[in-house]
Amino acid sequence: MAPTSEQQADILERLKNGVIEYDEEVVVKAANEALELQMDAYQAVMDGLAAGMDVVGVYFASGEYFVPEVLMCADALYGGLHILRPHIKLDPDKMVKGSVVIGTVEGDIHDIGKNLVKMMFEVAGFTVHDLGRDVPLDNFVDKYMETDADIICMSAMMTTTMIGMPVVIEKVRAKNPHARIMIGGAPINEDIAQKWGADGTGKDAPNALQEALNMIGVLRDLGDQFKAERTQKEWGADGILQPA
Amino acid sequence: MPNNSRETVLNVLRGQKGDHVPNFSGMGSITLGGIQDLGYRFNEIHGDARKMANSAASTHRLFGFESAIVPFDMGVVAESLGAGMKYYDKADLGQIIYPTMTRKLVDRSTVTVPDGASEADAKTFVMKEIERQITEYELKMPADIASTGRIPVVLEAIRILKRELGDEVAVGSWTLGPFTELGQVMDLEVLLKMSAKKPEAVNRHLKFMVEYLDKVLNLHIDSGADFVTVREMGATSSIMSPRMFKSLVLPNLQELFGRLKRVPTVLHICGDTNPIIELMAQTGASALSVDQMNRLNETRAKLSNVVLLGNYKPFGAPFCDGTPEEVEAIIKQSLDQGADGVWPGCDIWPQVPPENMQAMIAAMKKHGSNSH
Repeated sequence: MAPTSEQQADILERLKNGVIEYDEEVVVKAANEALELQMDAYQAVMDGLAAGMDVVGVYFASGEYFVPEVLMCADALYGGLHILRPHIKLDPDKMVKGSVVIGTVEGDIHDIGKNLVKMMFEVAGFTVHDLGRDVPLDNFVDKYMETDADIICMSAMMTTTMIGMPVVIEKVRAKNPHARIMIGGAPINEDIAQKWGADGTGKDAPNALQEALNMIGVLRDLGDQFKAERTQKEWGADGILQPA
Repeated sequence: MPNNSRETVLNVLRGQKGDHVPNFSGMGSITLGGIQDLGYRFNEIHGDARKMANSAASTHRLFGFESAIVPFDMGVVAESLGAGMKYYDKADLGQIIYPTMTRKLVDRSTVTVPDGASEADAKTFVMKEIERQITEYELKMPADIASTGRIPVVLEAIRILKRELGDEVAVGSWTLGPFTELGQVMDLEVLLKMSAKKPEAVNRHLKFMVEYLDKVLNLHIDSGADFVTVREMGATSSIMSPRMFKSLVLPNLQELFGRLKRVPTVLHICGDTNPIIELMAQTGASALSVDQMNRLNETRAKLSNVVLLGNYKPFGAPFCDGTPEEVEAIIKQSLDQGADGVWPGCDIWPQVPPENMQAMIAAMKKHGSNSH
């Protein structure tokens, strides 16, 4: 039974608003209905849950939401993600767009921003190797070498810990000059990222969480690219084949 | 006769004029050069009163900085309540890693997830369990606070500083504020969410923290602290709404500052403080400290009678890697915008080059005199 476009729009709207209003029950109910109606789970994640988080990012930037609200929104998103993700009907090999090694640097036990960035990567389909918090600097390098990850993502909440970042960057660059390295956290800005030779940070990152939220747009774009590739694979470039 | 540094600092904190705008801090202000000259490693100055005191004094001795402040790390009070600490003893020489908590009193790493739970169920289980633990937890006052954990180290360091430097230089100490300290001993993510959903459960612990910090800070004062700073950065508007600050944090800060009347007190909050600066002025602190994100000229206009301390950025560019001229410019900006005392928005990053510390001191000598 294929869902009607009204049903689809209604469910996407409830997923989105459930995230925005941090109402996990609404999200869980809508996610289960999406499955009953055999909606495309990937679309439900991207155009429902992630679209909601996009709005949360705008609210956060404008001072309407603060960290507690964003965390509750993230919980609501996770509630839906765990229901929907196992039903994304794709070859797992094709699902993986890339992999990322992520962690909070040694001396820092603040992982709220890091966990949010991690969630965004997961939503976008990345394989995430989470090293946790207070991560000895060499562990970043070791895990990167071991997993051959595409991206290394380091977070620091405090000015007193961010200094570990250039140490890791230098060590990773010594092994692979082309490694993609992202840094983030409250004290990090573009100047620091550039000076230390990182590839990027949030556009406006006086705040670690804002940066994580800024990433949603980027990751949703990646998702769209991925969707285009998938469409091509399932339907064929000429659009003749029917979906399974 | 001109005031000495100590008199000027204390006069300014009491809302009087000194003969110059003082150049000091109530937060960590040590330099790596200063502690290396003493032959210390960074990791060993947090648990030894003599080394802590000498390190704190070195910034005055080397540069003429107008205060000596202990402690340096944010774990002293959390540790005294039972949190596990780590001192990074194996860090490279010259590597700066501040001590941090390895295990909070309510810590998600202690929660065992039932066998066979899916990832989603496990996360929900842990969150619910932490929420339950925070709701039920009873924080306990140590039987003898003055001899618990590293509190005696800090008290002894204050006594040493008072004895050896106390006639010339203001000796200060600090703790975190009730909310920020609670985040050091209980899972911060769940605590933030509960602050929105179940504020009463959080407030019960905040009241304990007020009782405890009052006792700890009064021990600092008994030991000779000329002024004390309370750092409530967890309640910044970069994290929580001004509404939550007002309902949950402000009453507890008012209670704490109401009890600390023997010496001047400073409330420090970093990050965005523009929406709450007037609420900060209602806490009863003698002076307010803000960082570079505060629009100090606007704050000055809003609060003409409040002692304002700030607000140069003591890490990154330009303080730690810029030219002396750039350092002079950020110091002059704080003065021009109306700071009563020029003081950093955070701990001074210890790797600041000595030339830039000297440039800061020179800038204050040049622009910070009240004689003209």
